[in-house]
Amino acid sequence: MPVILVDHLAKSYRFYRKEPGLRGSLRGLVHREMLETKAVNDLSFMVEQGEVVGFLGPNGAGKTTTLKLLCGLLYPSTGQAMVLGYTPHRREHSYLRQIALVMGQKNMLWWDIPAMETLLMHKEMYRLPEAEFKRTVDELAEILEVAQLLRVQVRKLSLGERMKLELLVALVHRPQILFLDEPTIGLDVVAQQRVRDFLRTLNREQGTTILLTSHYMDDIEALCPRVMVIDHGQLQFDGKLSMLVERIAPYKLLTAVFAEPVEPAVVAAMVAGLDVLPSDDPRRLGLHVPRTEVAEVAGRLLRLGNVVDLSIMEVPVEDIIRQVFSAPAGGKELV
Amino acid sequence: MTPRLIWRCVAMNVMMTIEYRGEFAMRMVNTLLGPLISLLVWLTVSEQGVRLPYDRDQFITYYLLLSLVSMLTATWLGAYLAAAIRQGDLSPWLLRPVPYIVNDIGNNAGEKVIKLVLLCPMVGLVAVFLRASLPSDPRAWLLFTISLPLAAAVAFLLDFVIGSLAFWIQDVWGLIRVKALVGGFLAGQWVPLALFPARFQGLLQIQPFRYTLSFPLEVLTGHLTPAALAYGFAWQVGYCVGLWACYRLVWHYGLRAYAATGA
Repeated sequence: MPVILVDHLAKSYRFYRKEPGLRGSLRGLVHREMLETKAVNDLSFMVEQGEVVGFLGPNGAGKTTTLKLLCGLLYPSTGQAMVLGYTPHRREHSYLRQIALVMGQKNMLWWDIPAMETLLMHKEMYRLPEAEFKRTVDELAEILEVAQLLRVQVRKLSLGERMKLELLVALVHRPQILFLDEPTIGLDVVAQQRVRDFLRTLNREQGTTILLTSHYMDDIEALCPRVMVIDHGQLQFDGKLSMLVERIAPYKLLTAVFAEPVEPAVVAAMVAGLDVLPSDDPRRLGLHVPRTEVAEVAGRLLRLGNVVDLSIMEVPVEDIIRQVFSAPAGGKELV
Repeated sequence: MTPRLIWRCVAMNVMMTIEYRGEFAMRMVNTLLGPLISLLVWLTVSEQGVRLPYDRDQFITYYLLLSLVSMLTATWLGAYLAAAIRQGDLSPWLLRPVPYIVNDIGNNAGEKVIKLVLLCPMVGLVAVFLRASLPSDPRAWLLFTISLPLAAAVAFLLDFVIGSLAFWIQDVWGLIRVKALVGGFLAGQWVPLALFPARFQGLLQIQPFRYTLSFPLEVLTGHLTPAALAYGFAWQVGYCVGLWACYRLVWHYGLRAYAATGA
């Protein structure tokens, strides 16, 4: 049974256009042009209990707005969302007790006091029994390796330490659904990996449903079997990450290293019609090869006789996402 | 909203205020200096032979207690609330199963605990220096302790409602500044309301700012008849209820307009 049901959801913002300069400012006093932008436009999808779903899309695509709509921070303009059977924008306390949103740039932790004080505050807010609270904090602090930091003023902590504590605070009431907006932003690679490991464990052991947005492809690859690509507020793709890769890049990356530099004329004949990747090494040849032709092209290269290494790889997901993100307005339909 | 939650929120704000104790000590010096300057002006006027409704002792009592009461009923959160709405900093609170107003109640009360600890010795020293005589009627003190939290509630809710207008108005700072200036004047911050011309007294008695500062002082200094006391308390309670209703209404519609700016 789906825990999140989104049906033709839309959110529009109105704003005034202001011409630059003093003249523009003065003109704005008597005449302002009102504009409307659709941050989320007719979005529909479902998420089952226990799924981990990644939202992908360029800046301003509508990912964060979607999360905010699902958390009840925003009222939808049209359409509706149901999460755990609740209408999010009503912000019923019984609903808010079952969800959490971690925002990379908005903090739950109070700055001047240790994180434990925020946790104790949340204990009262969420009415957590003492024993359960203690057990949860001990458990999460151990997994996140922050037990020693709970009694240190938040302002004295590093960004990575703060983000792990933000996660702890968000999870202390054991939400059924966790919304994550850029949870690893600004973290070093070690901290990013720890957060990813933790989220994977959380999903596997507690069945927490997770929806996350991230610009780090490693987050998406490591955590999300399912991805949704959103652009201009609309769903462009919904499915497995591997399907997205196949759709955006219907080719593989074939690299051959020769014992001696290869003759350009030979190469030209060999790879006619294929996309050759630029290389500084005259012994190395990189090609984008259609998936159905990979075996045949590899065979041709090997028949040349002096190949010392040959590799066939998927195009890095990072490159795929770069293509998705750089698609022009109203660009490629992926669905 | 449980008492334990309110207590936790207040305690947390006490802890945060302690972090900035030096700054708050200076602020309390400022809180005391304003009324002291007004007191010196009025004592000088009084010594020139001008007939005033208050004598020397009453002026000293009024302005010394004014520094304490103005601190205890002060509110400063409207501007912060407006900024939080405009910049999207309200979002972390809206995700919690607790009304946002609890945060501001905790902040307001928590800071005042520390401010009281800092201000009381200062006021005590000045009282000894000026040989002030405090009111001795226990009934007046009892009524004062009732009107004081009501005054704090009126001031707090008024500020909170004005700050909440940021849901629709880009910049409510101007409004907050006007309120601070006009409100201070009409609350008796600089001139006791009793010293205003008689023809304005009717209006002065029903305007809300009186019930944020002047009324508790009037109750304590024994200037009011039983009928005037009952009338004043009725207005004070009425403002509390009315402003609470305003707060609920403004937030009911305001949250629809909230843009949750920022990631």
